[in-house]
Formats: sequence, C-alpha cells, structure tokens
Amino acid sequence: MADELIRSIDKATLEMLEKAEKEQVSTVFSRADQIKPCPIGVEESCCKICAMGPCRMPRSKKGEEKARMGVCGATVETVVARNFARKIAAGSASHSDHAREVTETFLKAAQGQAQGFTIKDEIKLFEVALDFGIEIEDRSVTDIAIELGQKALEEFGKQHGELTYIRKAPLKRQEIWKKQGVIPRGIDREVVEIMHRTHMGVDQDYVHILEQATRCALADGWGGSMISTDLQDIMFGTPVPVVGTINLGVLKEDEVNIVVHGHEPLLPELLVTASRDPEIKKLAEKAGAKGINLAGMCCSANEVLMRHGIPCAGNFLQQELALVTGAVELMTVDVQCQMQGLQDVAACFHTKLVSTSDRAKIQGATHMEFHPDTGLDTAKKILRLAIENFPNRRGPVQIPDHKEDIVAGFSHETINYLLGGLFRASYRPLNDNIVNGRIRGVAGVVGCNNVRTVHDSAHIAMIKELIKNDVLVLTTGCAAMACGKAGLLTPEAARAFAGEGLAEVCEAVGIPPVLHMGACVDNSRILVAASAMVKEGGLGDDLSDLPVAGAAPEWMSEKALAIGQYFVASGIFTVFGSPWPTLGSDKVTRHLFEEYEEIYKGTWAFEADPVKAAQRMIAHIDTKRKALGLEKARERVLFDMAMRRNLT
Amino acid sequence: MSDYTYDEKERFDGVTIKVLGPTYEEGKPEGGHDWKSGLDTREKALDYLRTALRYWYGAEGFGSEKRKKEA
Repeated sequence: MADELIRSIDKATLEMLEKAEKEQVSTVFSRADQIKPCPIGVEESCCKICAMGPCRMPRSKKGEEKARMGVCGATVETVVARNFARKIAAGSASHSDHAREVTETFLKAAQGQAQGFTIKDEIKLFEVALDFGIEIEDRSVTDIAIELGQKALEEFGKQHGELTYIRKAPLKRQEIWKKQGVIPRGIDREVVEIMHRTHMGVDQDYVHILEQATRCALADGWGGSMISTDLQDIMFGTPVPVVGTINLGVLKEDEVNIVVHGHEPLLPELLVTASRDPEIKKLAEKAGAKGINLAGMCCSANEVLMRHGIPCAGNFLQQELALVTGAVELMTVDVQCQMQGLQDVAACFHTKLVSTSDRAKIQGATHMEFHPDTGLDTAKKILRLAIENFPNRRGPVQIPDHKEDIVAGFSHETINYLLGGLFRASYRPLNDNIVNGRIRGVAGVVGCNNVRTVHDSAHIAMIKELIKNDVLVLTTGCAAMACGKAGLLTPEAARAFAGEGLAEVCEAVGIPPVLHMGACVDNSRILVAASAMVKEGGLGDDLSDLPVAGAAPEWMSEKALAIGQYFVASGIFTVFGSPWPTLGSDKVTRHLFEEYEEIYKGTWAFEADPVKAAQRMIAHIDTKRKALGLEKARERVLFDMAMRRNLT
Repeated sequence: MSDYTYDEKERFDGVTIKVLGPTYEEGKPEGGHDWKSGLDTREKALDYLRTALRYWYGAEGFGSEKRKKEA
C-alpha cells in the first residue's frame, strides 16, 4: 500500500490494511497498486469476440478523426454496444440464476423435501399467488406454494408472451415498454439472445443491440430479481425493521467466528438455525470458546441481518480484511463477488474457506456443497468444522474496535405499514410530504465498492448531500453497508444529517433518513415501492413522472449495469460513478445519455464526483417537481365552505 | 402506580408541579416488530392484501390509474 493513498473512509478497514501491509498479506488494495486498468479496455473499445482479433480501437487523437474498425469491419459503436450488452447479460444471468436456485429450493420446500425450510410468511405467499393468478380460496398452503413454485420456475424458460411481474409496473410504463417492444418473454431467453446477437457477425446496429440489452435487464429487475426477493420472503419471512451492528468490530475474540459471504441466503439461513442448536453450542464451549458468533459479509450479510439481526462484518472490499484479523475460524462462500484472493489470505491464518455452491469452486478451498434436501446437515457439518478449527488460531488476534448500530429491513410492505399502520397502510403520507415539499424526492443509491475509488467515500458523500437536501434515500447492497458504518441507518441520523423537512418526517414516522432495503437482488423492492408511489396518485402516472433518481457511485460488478439499465428503462434517471463503460463510442454514449430520454423517459449519466452527481440528481428531482407543479413547498389546505364558494 | 418516577417542573404561572417521568424501558429491541402477526386468519390476510396493497389487489384500480383501461 502506498503511503500517500487514502484507501478508505472506514477506520476498521484502514487498521486492517495496516496489519496486512505489516504482515505482507496480499489484498485487493495491494493488488490494485500492481495492476493498472487497461486504457482501451476501460472504454470497452476492444473486441475479443472472435479469434481474428483482439481488435483494439482506441479513440482518435484530437484532429485525427480516424474511423476505426475491427478486422471484420465492426465499428467501434458495435463493439462498445456489444460489450455493454454482454455485461448486462452476465449481470442479469447472475441475479436470475440465483433466483432459479431459490425457486427450485422453494418448490422442494413446498413439497416437504427441503431440510429446514418451510413457508414462513403465508401472507406474502398469498400476495405473490395473486400476482401469478393462482387460485387461493380454501386451498392448502402447500397446494398454493407448489403451484407458485412451478409457475415461477416456468418464467425462466418461457419462450413467448410476457413475464408475469411486468403487470406490477404502472400501466403507462407497461404501455411504453409495449410500444418499444422490450417486454421480456422469458428470463433465460433474453440472456441467450444477447449472447447470440453479440456473437461474431450477428447484430451490427448498436441501437438494436441496446434494445435487447434493455429487454434482458427488464427480465432481471421485473423477473429474476423480483422472483428471488419474493420467494425468499415467503420462505424466510418478509423483513421488518431490526436492530443490528456492522463493521469488523462485530467479530469476537473469545468466540468461534463464522462469516457467511456471498449472495444466496439459503445456506446462511440454515447456519443461523444450526448455530442455535444446544449441541453445537456445547461443542463450541468444549473447544474453549464462549459461543458461536455468526457474522455476514456482502449481500448474504444483508439477508441474515434483515431477517435475524445477525451482525454484519462488512462490505465487498472488507472480505479479505475480515480474515486478516486472525479471528475468523471459517468463511463460507457461495456465488458472486467473492475474491479468489480470499484463499491466499486464509492460508496466511488458520481460516478455513468453504465453498458451498455447485456453481463455484475456489482452488485450495474446502468444497462442502449445499443441497436443499440435506441443507441442515451440511450447515451443522460446517459449524463443527469451524469449532474444531478454533484452537488452531495462530498468533495474536487483532479485531478493530469499530462497529455501529443500525436499523435494517425496510421491505416495501413494511414501508407501506409504517406510513399508515395496519388498517390504513398506504404510500399517501410519503406522497403528501413530497407534495408539501418536506421531502424533496426519493433516491435509490445502491451498488458495490470499487477499489479504484476511496472505499465507501463516494456512497457517503453522495448520500449525505442528498439527505441534507431533503431527499429520502433507499439503499441496498454494499452501499447500504457503507451507510451503516457511517451511522446513517439509525433514526437519530435524521436530526444529525438530514434537512429540516426530511428530518421532521423521519422523526414523525420513526425511520432513518436512509432506508436499508436489502441485498442487491432486492433492488426489485425499490421498483415496487416506486410503482406504489405512482399508483397512490398525485405524482403523475408513470415512474418517469416521479421526483426520483438512482445512483451507483462505486459500482464494479456487471450486475450493477443490469440494475442501472432496468432502472433507466423503468423511466428513472440513473447516475453511475467509477469508470463508465461506453466512453469508447460517443454515439453509444449519446444514445444512452440523451436519446434514451425520448425512448424510455429515463437516462443514464456518468459523474465521477459523488457530490456533483448528487447535485445532478437533485436538479433532476427539481425538474420533475416543476413538471408536477410542485416547485414551491405547499401545505395541504382543508377548504371550508366560504373558501369553496370563492373557487367558483 | 408506585414504580412510576416523577419530576418536578415549573408551570407557566410559576407554580411547581409534579410531572410523570419517563415510562419507557431503556435498551434495544431484541427482534423486529412482527406487524403481520395480527393477521392470523386467511380472511384477515386477504382483506389486508385487498386494502393495504390495494394498488395491485384492490377490486378497482387506484389513484392515478383508477379509471384507466388495463395496458
């Protein structure tokens, strides 16, 4: 680590980086110093699709204006659009394959074949059954769940028609999608079609390629991700606000520390159950530990935090640093966002790295595959392995003394309840407070960490700027964890960081100014919440009419691009930080940044400075407020008869 | 009640009066508030969906979409 570089705004991260440097442990931070990003690749103007290349097409120097093309004649527009679309396909495939695993487990759970899983939230089951047009009446929960599982599974392989969840969007938005011909037919089909269209010598019109990218991204947001969120809620319970703690300080020196890392909450749920087993607790004591300390990392952390209050050890860039403490007996990894460097770090300490998905193995790691029919047995086996490893700690343990209290678990249903109570549940109070100007608008700030930015800094700078200007922030994924560490996820944060209007509303309802809505797959909750705002009325009749904006200031994963694309195609202005992956082509960039406004009434934007990005979001929110006639704060006035007479 | 605490405060007219002190228990909640637990029958659950989530499950459309045809 170079001394002059500021790596993170998080003290626990800095402390562990210092330890890693002292002990010469390679981490993502030190590796980033050794590898500079490829200047052509960063603009996505390099084509590796066939074996006649790779064809590199750097931008012309000033005054040259060279029309560059690949060996096959592919223009830089085609190349950049293909690369962008392929990233969206990969992102959508990741969320949707996660959803497939959940759906198959759900079906097994409904059929009584999944060990340790059951239908926990019957109300959510009925809710989703209604979405899928499943008869409820007097049928048994098992029958309904089996039919739902089968129908949800069919969504992946559907060849024609429309995805079921598309109907949850506002009617006007559905009309726009229909007019543009981008309604997804089936989840898998849209991913496959991108891979076909971007194969050598197929689709050679960047506008047409990006149209399919939109169809695919919508299949992620309004398909795979939504299925995953909903079925997980049915199996594990729809999240309600819960108090938790976050940062590396949640690890305990005198307990067996097990970190669950990854994205699928299936095994982590069972680890929570198994860790409460008295027999397992006894084993831990026998090994000399005071107990078992289960902690989360990345989106698995968000899942178990929201449903069980399990402490969260940190976000993406902290995964190796958790092991650097020397206190982690075992880390489980399933799919997405786990660094291969983890095994090398684990080998420097006593930590066992255990891969659990049939989709992902890491060389050197122990593979203990999770299958729903024997899930609980596997969970107990993993815990036993961790306990046995407790006496093997090498050298002194160093756990940073940094952790923060947070409140997480704001599902769309819970927000609806919190705003109006059980019998008056409604988004009306939110819409009213947007109309009267106490709340200026709503922003979804989501996404990863990226080692090319200062860890967590862009999230926090952007979100503080937004809430200071009375913008309510909805957050998921690693962005949510950054907020937690910075103390933004408690109700008290409203008075400390939010503008006067937003703070008033937060205090009245008892919510933080930044609402933790879950893992990155749960961005579907933001879509549903925004649709509810439209349907409630008073803020236009389409998602694009709402004073809302989206952002991912520290993105790095292909999933983030898929998320951004479905936000934009849903009519939401979305600004990304870090590098922007179409800068190799001005035409493609202009298409996404300007022409999309005409097509989808939502656009992409790129702004590396998070505060400037926040100001652009606020300016967009103000434009939408003006279009709705809400440019000035106004209170609701109850008219008496005299005032009514004056109206005529 | 005997276990309540009282504070003394000055009223607007200068008279000292006794007011009830804090009645809450200090500490953090141990779990989330399960607001759905009251919906313990299927009828109540479906009623809840038709009213609280009326945007999608109400008999009629709602708000901005009340009188519009289905897309």
